[in-house]
Amino acid sequence: MIEDTYAAFTGWLFEHTLQPVLYATGMMDWAEDLFAWLDFALRGLFGILVVYFVCRPLEAWRPVEPRQDGAAIRTDMVYTFLSRLGVLPLVAFVLLASLQSRWEGWLTEVGVMPPTLEELFPPLRDHPLLALVAYVIVLDFGEYWRHRAQHGFRWWWALHAIHHAQRQMTFWTDDRNHVLDDVLAALWFGGLALLIGVPPGQFPLILLLLRLAESLSHANVRLSYGRVGERLLVSPRFHRLHHGELSAGASGKNYAVLLPIWDWIFGTADFRRDHYPPTGAADAGEAMERGGWLRQQWAGFQRLALTIARRA
Amino acid sequence: MRRAPFALLLLAGLSLPSLAKADLVYVLNSGDASITVLESTTREEVRRIPILREVHHLLLNPERTELVVGDSAANELLFLNPDTAEIVRRERISNPYHMDYSPDGKYLVITSLRRDQVDIYEAATRTLLARLKVPDKPSHLAFSPDSRMVYVTLQGARRLMAIDLTTRRPTWTTEVGPQPAGVLWHRDRLLVGIMGSDQVAVVNPADGKLERGIQTARGAHTVFASPNGGPLYATSRVDSRLTVLDPETLEVKARWELPGGPDCIAFAPDGKLWVTLRWVARVAVVDPATGEAETIPVGRSPHGVFVQPRQLPLPPAPVPVVEAPATPVMVPGVVPAALR
Repeated sequence: MIEDTYAAFTGWLFEHTLQPVLYATGMMDWAEDLFAWLDFALRGLFGILVVYFVCRPLEAWRPVEPRQDGAAIRTDMVYTFLSRLGVLPLVAFVLLASLQSRWEGWLTEVGVMPPTLEELFPPLRDHPLLALVAYVIVLDFGEYWRHRAQHGFRWWWALHAIHHAQRQMTFWTDDRNHVLDDVLAALWFGGLALLIGVPPGQFPLILLLLRLAESLSHANVRLSYGRVGERLLVSPRFHRLHHGELSAGASGKNYAVLLPIWDWIFGTADFRRDHYPPTGAADAGEAMERGGWLRQQWAGFQRLALTIARRA
Repeated sequence: MRRAPFALLLLAGLSLPSLAKADLVYVLNSGDASITVLESTTREEVRRIPILREVHHLLLNPERTELVVGDSAANELLFLNPDTAEIVRRERISNPYHMDYSPDGKYLVITSLRRDQVDIYEAATRTLLARLKVPDKPSHLAFSPDSRMVYVTLQGARRLMAIDLTTRRPTWTTEVGPQPAGVLWHRDRLLVGIMGSDQVAVVNPADGKLERGIQTARGAHTVFASPNGGPLYATSRVDSRLTVLDPETLEVKARWELPGGPDCIAFAPDGKLWVTLRWVARVAVVDPATGEAETIPVGRSPHGVFVQPRQLPLPPAPVPVVEAPATPVMVPGVVPAALR
């Protein structure tokens, strides 16, 4: 019933708003892509609402620190809306579609067809949910190492510092990233996809919960998942320690995005359950800390250029 | 005793419902990685087959023993038993979007919309014979009845391309209009749905000359020929309309509103049209006598559709049906939000 109503609503919205624009501008060959984007955006909007109604009361209940910097939080909200409503992904998709088509075509010509995890492990075929879990684990492992690289390479840290510059961290901070950092993330993911394929997307509720977990890990809340839970899922306590000022640069802890086990295995975990340090990056600078979206982006580009120039 | 024949007739009459057709209707849900199998009589979903990623088109093999489904994003062909809806086997193949067997059963040609490729395979073995790099977004294809030529619409390049299957090279390309989609061979002419307009283009297959346009409705998508030389039906996705064309003169005989973005059509043995409604996750059953339609919910973004005649209802599934809820379709090339 809910599904049918949702389908009728999105169908109506597409037919009466987006499709006429595509037709008028001679872009009907993008119809399926834009329809997919509409779905992405609506679910993103719903996701923001869910995250807000879960995280905001928690932040009000047991804040780590008082909410003093409304402007900094509003900037993070811009990041969230641009990212989760699919505005930046849509722009990236339109700009990169032709490149992607050539790349995939070339790969096929040289005989490379990315497999799927289900093909590598056939029992997963009959258990789509299990397949999704397997993808989440493998991709989260990839994310752990990408995150370590973001801190380990100076040029990459020049971009990632934007994420860490926030001294007023809240659940909105999750999406605070430089666009170039997002592009690198997409390339990283693309590399992994070559090995294991792309994950199935037919479980929107699971994806929503994963997203919620990631946002919650940035929340301004004194919340630990307990002795066992802290080792199963990244908590606000666990991730706040990563955002502590000392973690800037190459000497950080708690890099995991979703599953702390990677930090546990590779010796970067800090499971102190009572430690909630102030957040921020000591070397980020005023523009990255306090600037608006555009200023922060520009500061990221400048800093990247300087870092590369110094090395040359 | 005289009454016996009447009793037999009555009995036969009473037993008619159990002999009623219970055709299976396969609907490919491109947006939620599944195939819906409906029973035509009850309109009920009797199977939901999970697939890996993104299914678009399907067809019977030349022997009519297997239903071939392309899962483009998973680089996979699925072969189903059309009578039982069971997956018989799977094969790795590059990005199967639209596909068809040549009328002589010799070739299987597959377009790869995302990779700008047209692949010619030996039908029996799926051995790749040739891969043609073509301009932007090769979409649908149609064969000449003698199996010598295959015609491919190039959606992003406003063109139709003719490929000689003997030399496996293009013989001509011609501009037909903005975003050409479906193509149909019909009585020595090619009918091409011009999605960026309200026209179906009529093209001479010999030289690619655009002869004229037939006005249908905005977002003209594909033309389907009903069996036994009956009327042609053109779908239009912007105006959401079915246009009925005279097969002889190509004159418009009727226009039926069909909200939801009508896309592909399959013809049932009872003459009804099963039409996928791309934007509203439904399939429409249209009565060709009146144009009236009822709609049935299926999965997200339903695309290809196929009707398999069947006399008796399909027995219950041997294993629990896997329910596949609607999908947040990922924008290709972008990291899924929840997995970043």
